[in-house]
Amino acid sequence: MSEQQDLFTAVANMWKGFRVTFRQMRKPRVTTQYPKEFREKPQRFHGRHVLNRYDDGMEKCIGCELCAGVCPAKCIYVRGADNPIDDPVSPGERYGYVYEINMLRCIFCALCVEACPTEAITMTHLFEMSTTNRQDAIYTKDELLVQPDGTPNHMFDEDHLADFGELAAADGWMRATSPQGRADFSGVPGWTPSAGVGLRPAEQGQSGTEPEGEDA
Amino acid sequence: MIVEALTRRMNAHPTDSHTMERYLETGGYEAARGAITKTRDELVETVKESGVIGRGGAGFPAGLKWSFLAPARPAYLVVNGDESEPGTFKDRQLLERDPHAMVEGIIIAAVANEVHHAFVYIRGEYPKPARRVQQAVADAYAKGFLGKGIFGGDYDLDVTVHLGAGAYICGEETALLNSLEGRRGEPRLKPPYFPAAKGLYMAPTIVNNVETISNLPYIFGEGVDWYKGLGHEVDTGTFLMSISGHVNKPGNYEVVHGITWRELIYGVAGGIRDGKELKAWVPGGASAPWFVPEEHLDLPITKDETGKQGSMLGSGAVIVMDEDTDMVAAAERLVRFFAEESCGQCTPCREGTTWLDLILQRVLHGGGREQDIDLLMDVSDNISVGLGWPPKQTTICPLGPSAVSATLSLVKHFRHEVEEHIGRGTPVTISGVSS
Amino acid sequence: MVTITIDGTEVQVPAGELLIKAAEDSGTYIPRFCWHRRMNPVGMCRMCLVEVEGPRGIMLTPSCTMPVNDGMVVHTKSPTVEKAQEGVLEFLLLNHPLDCPVCDKGGECPLQDQTLSHGPGESRMVEEKRHYEKPIPISDLVLLDRERCILCARCVRFSEEISGDPLIEFMDRGNAAEVNTFPDEPFASYFSGNTVQICPVGALTASAYRFRARPWDLREVASVNPLTTTGDGVTVQASQNEVLRFLGVDNDATNHGWLDDRSRFGFEWIASPDRLATPLAKSGDGHTEVSWGEALGAAAENLSAVIEAHGPGAVAAIGGARGTNEDAYALASFMRSSVGSPNLDARLDDGLGTHLLSSLAGKGEIGDLETARTVLVWAADLKEEHPVLYLRVRRAAQELGATLITVHPTATGLADRATHTVTYRPGEGHDLLDRLRAGSGDLADVRAALDEGPVVAIVGRTGLAEDPALAEAVTAFARDLPQASVLPVVRRANTYGAIDMGVAPDLLPGRVAAGGDAGHTGWEKADTSVGLDTRGILEAAADGRVKALLLVGADPLRDVPDADLAARALDAVDVVISIDCFLTDSTAKADIVLPALGFTEKEGTVTNLEGRVMKVNRIVSGPGQARADWSIIDDLAARMGRPLGFESAEAISLAIAEHAPAYGGITWFLLDWKERDGVVAPRDGVEQPLQYIPTTSLRAVGSGGAKRGGFALHLGRLLYDDAVLTRQGASIADLAPGAYAVLNPTDADRIGANGHVEVDGHRLPLRRDASLAEGTVAVPFNQPDGPPLGGSSHVDVAPGAGA
Repeated sequence: MSEQQDLFTAVANMWKGFRVTFRQMRKPRVTTQYPKEFREKPQRFHGRHVLNRYDDGMEKCIGCELCAGVCPAKCIYVRGADNPIDDPVSPGERYGYVYEINMLRCIFCALCVEACPTEAITMTHLFEMSTTNRQDAIYTKDELLVQPDGTPNHMFDEDHLADFGELAAADGWMRATSPQGRADFSGVPGWTPSAGVGLRPAEQGQSGTEPEGEDA
Repeated sequence: MIVEALTRRMNAHPTDSHTMERYLETGGYEAARGAITKTRDELVETVKESGVIGRGGAGFPAGLKWSFLAPARPAYLVVNGDESEPGTFKDRQLLERDPHAMVEGIIIAAVANEVHHAFVYIRGEYPKPARRVQQAVADAYAKGFLGKGIFGGDYDLDVTVHLGAGAYICGEETALLNSLEGRRGEPRLKPPYFPAAKGLYMAPTIVNNVETISNLPYIFGEGVDWYKGLGHEVDTGTFLMSISGHVNKPGNYEVVHGITWRELIYGVAGGIRDGKELKAWVPGGASAPWFVPEEHLDLPITKDETGKQGSMLGSGAVIVMDEDTDMVAAAERLVRFFAEESCGQCTPCREGTTWLDLILQRVLHGGGREQDIDLLMDVSDNISVGLGWPPKQTTICPLGPSAVSATLSLVKHFRHEVEEHIGRGTPVTISGVSS
Repeated sequence: MVTITIDGTEVQVPAGELLIKAAEDSGTYIPRFCWHRRMNPVGMCRMCLVEVEGPRGIMLTPSCTMPVNDGMVVHTKSPTVEKAQEGVLEFLLLNHPLDCPVCDKGGECPLQDQTLSHGPGESRMVEEKRHYEKPIPISDLVLLDRERCILCARCVRFSEEISGDPLIEFMDRGNAAEVNTFPDEPFASYFSGNTVQICPVGALTASAYRFRARPWDLREVASVNPLTTTGDGVTVQASQNEVLRFLGVDNDATNHGWLDDRSRFGFEWIASPDRLATPLAKSGDGHTEVSWGEALGAAAENLSAVIEAHGPGAVAAIGGARGTNEDAYALASFMRSSVGSPNLDARLDDGLGTHLLSSLAGKGEIGDLETARTVLVWAADLKEEHPVLYLRVRRAAQELGATLITVHPTATGLADRATHTVTYRPGEGHDLLDRLRAGSGDLADVRAALDEGPVVAIVGRTGLAEDPALAEAVTAFARDLPQASVLPVVRRANTYGAIDMGVAPDLLPGRVAAGGDAGHTGWEKADTSVGLDTRGILEAAADGRVKALLLVGADPLRDVPDADLAARALDAVDVVISIDCFLTDSTAKADIVLPALGFTEKEGTVTNLEGRVMKVNRIVSGPGQARADWSIIDDLAARMGRPLGFESAEAISLAIAEHAPAYGGITWFLLDWKERDGVVAPRDGVEQPLQYIPTTSLRAVGSGGAKRGGFALHLGRLLYDDAVLTRQGASIADLAPGAYAVLNPTDADRIGANGHVEVDGHRLPLRRDASLAEGTVAVPFNQPDGPPLGGSSHVDVAPGAGA
């Protein structure tokens, strides 16, 4: 075996080794300069929860505890109470008097969102939830309930890092589980839309055709 | 075709047939006077022999019913005058024009069944007939035909006249008994509460229709042979038929069974109004399935033949509908009657009849959908399981199954009319989504 | 027994039983809404339709109205049946609001469950549903939502057939039919809570439980109703360490599933903010919180000092009926062994003789009412004092056709079902008994009825001013009736257990007479002489002979009829140590207050009026540092240098099974795993040590003084009174009607009373009742702001000032 051959083999092996590297050098960068820039998240991203309101400002939560019942991590604690007759908090007889989610336990499975009969609890794109003590990780109605205009509260109101632009996507996940269960019903919700969000077109990939079947 | 037996007296003396004087003058209370000397067995046997069938609707032989009376005493006799089925108005005639015939019948029936207290339950909307009956009972007491030791003998008999409060269901015998006792007019469970065993105040009770009871003086007065000779060999005696609707001469007619529907409608009732075509008729009260001319016009009117054709003669109410009738509207009106008159006990009747009515109303007002005909049929099937005739009764009383007759007849004979209604209107709107 | 075929399987069932019940008992559940096994069938919901093969072919038949016949062939799962069930459910749901998420029944709702298992997937109804005003309160405790009602008539039938106060009925008809109360007549039944439990939907809900929890976050444990002596089976449900609901359990031997409202809604005292959570020591006029060490040390020191200075007899204990048998056994051991004093009593001068209660326990059973031909009730008004027993007696008279005789100063709650209602003037009971025994005059019929056995006699004190000896005499009479079983009744919850455990001056644990020669194993070193009963203790205390008083869940100032005596006693003694859940009037006078656990916070056994031993269980932890009675007593004994050595409640229960003769062999294991409905002590093969001898150990009320007034006093209890556990339950606290005086109209007119009367100087609203014997005034005992009248059997009545 000659030296030339050795050199050739060495270069070939180096090429083999660097091939991946060189190929990647030509491709665009996938990382972003977080927290200076944000990535666009998938529409159905499971971020932290919010409790929605109706257009008139009434809370959607009726304190039924179905979310707490279905939660596999047992991280939700709800207590209902009688709606004050002269100043009701939610439509109907009952409202969520206590609503707490322990974000340290939550596994973001969104079963609570599926279980909710009034679409009171939905998930947002918000994901920045680091805290400096365990107590702060238990979100109460103060944090979870959206503003009367539909804007979610953020844990760090003054924080320049928060992406307030994405807050409007608060109930992006909602239509997929709308009562009718079909994309054709986009724009025809069975429930009043959340404050501040309004109606949106069907998601990408969803059909807009007339549903089949005898009754709708 | 028209005969005069029960109606003889009221036809001959239109102004005072209801008075005691006229009744006595025309041979009244002689049958009762004779009957009280006989034994229970003899009397029951005579009624059985006469073949008189109950005129309340079910057509059960009266003599057989009497023989089923449990031996416990006291026993009671209740005369069912709660005539409230749409199209039925025959008992009214008897109560108003010939109340003494019923009182005399009561005496005979009471003696036959060892009853010392009889009740007459009259429909609440019949104030005039009730006044006449009350007067007749008072007169009979005054003459000593009722009260202690009737006809001077040692048999005691009291008669109480009671007015209902306007519920159709109280025409059902056990609901009537509940109502008499002061409870809600709701049918009782059968078993165990068969009136003949556990009726009024849990005592054995005979419940008979006014017309059945009014037949008795004639059976005992003129004799069984005369009675059986009046008409049909099976459906003995004469029948009062109430003919209403689009005929030239609506009214009560006393006829014998065996004549055809054509004879009844075109002969007795004088044909269809304004020369129109006959479209359909209800042969025996609102709960009977409808007849249509193509199939049924030349059939004889008998209990058996009507039953074979999937309907019934019931209480003898014939409602005639001409070619201009909107059959969906007709069916809706009948169903609405039953929905309003359901007592509310059984779920299928309470909820089902109202739902049927809501669907028919929707169809009628242009909100019908393709699937509504199937829906009507399936809801009817859930109320009257199997949709057979006679209905398989799965509710406490027959009111629920009765209510589907009109719907079934509508879909069976006039499906095209329903479809027309459905095609005509705009589809129903659900939660803001058009389907 | 007959053989029927259900879905192809042959089963043996009792002849004549309803098909639905026979099927369920043999393992086939037929869905239903209206049928309930304790009520007559109505066949209204039509959910239980099954196919029965008969002579006219296969017929669809409601199984709740169909009795079984031999050879019957039944199909419960055929396509026709399934279609019918789907149809009925669709009908029921047509007008049922789907507000399950906010409905208290949601999650435990038969309509939900059966819709899931038998119902259609969706409704075909597009029309508007029926609407009514959402929940309307029909009583202080019950809310009615007519939209949810499926008209099954369970509540209507319950109030008509079971509780006998038909205040809820159907109105209107057809689709407009609704259940409702009558105008201006609330559903003020003592048993209204049962309708909430048996309602198959959320139409009737309890205001106490409204929106408190959902079924899936409740934990539950089987236990026994702590507020009555009938031993009603209950399920205690709790969430987040708070008791939220009591449900009746169908215990065939006792309550048939029913509870009275005080028991059902009276649990709220458990979570009352007034519960004692730390030991208290007296300082000045009030108390200061101290540690357990300080409190127990001081208590032990005080007691030891009294024993040293005045002898053990100067220490006495009152109470113990509110705890478990284990607590009572510890108390009895403590008093008789550690202290060496026989002065202890679980009765608060309102009971019957201990020998009467203990010797008859286990002899007659509540279940005897099912076969009784004649029932004699010569006791307090059962409806007020023993509500569940009242229901059983009512059932015997109404459904089973027994002849019912009530003897009471006034017509009782059973009057409408009683064949004979005998009233008499308090104090003349012995004369009446003599006349009844002789069957003289108008009592001949009653006497004749009593000769028809089997007879069940329910005997007790008709009122607190009644001579206790009367009950003994009635018992002696009743025991000689044909096939008689006698049930002596007292009201205070676990009085029977406490007395059986020896918390009585004349009994040792296990129904052994004190003062006898018979050695009691394990009790050789104890003082087994006969001591003072509650009245004796209070009198001795007032006289200065008793120096130290141990109150165990007792409030003599309110519970003892002679409140004046109790007040003098509490003022005179040197040391008062109280073990209690609340700071009551009496506890407030204590030197040391030790916080105790209540029911649902501890395990143990209790004994009901028939001598049935039942297990109570723990589901929540107590407030703060509260401890079980036995553990407090054990610690106290140890600190006094006379340890008892009890390690756990279960260890005490084993000691009871060993050392209490009548309770031989009754262990927690037995009650937890084998006899869930309880065991009547003594068990088979175990002999009852105490034999019944008619004696009178209790003295008559007012026997010390002269008859003060011209009117005989009837001092009866009402279901809702001012007792601490009632007062502390938010839902029932306001239901006590307050004090009033009842006079016969003749008497009222004679003295010219109108509106108000003065009873011994206490102004009370006047009520008239013609059934009350003349010369008698009836005043309910221990009502809010009620007068202290218990010291005398006779009172003065004068017209009240003003209208």
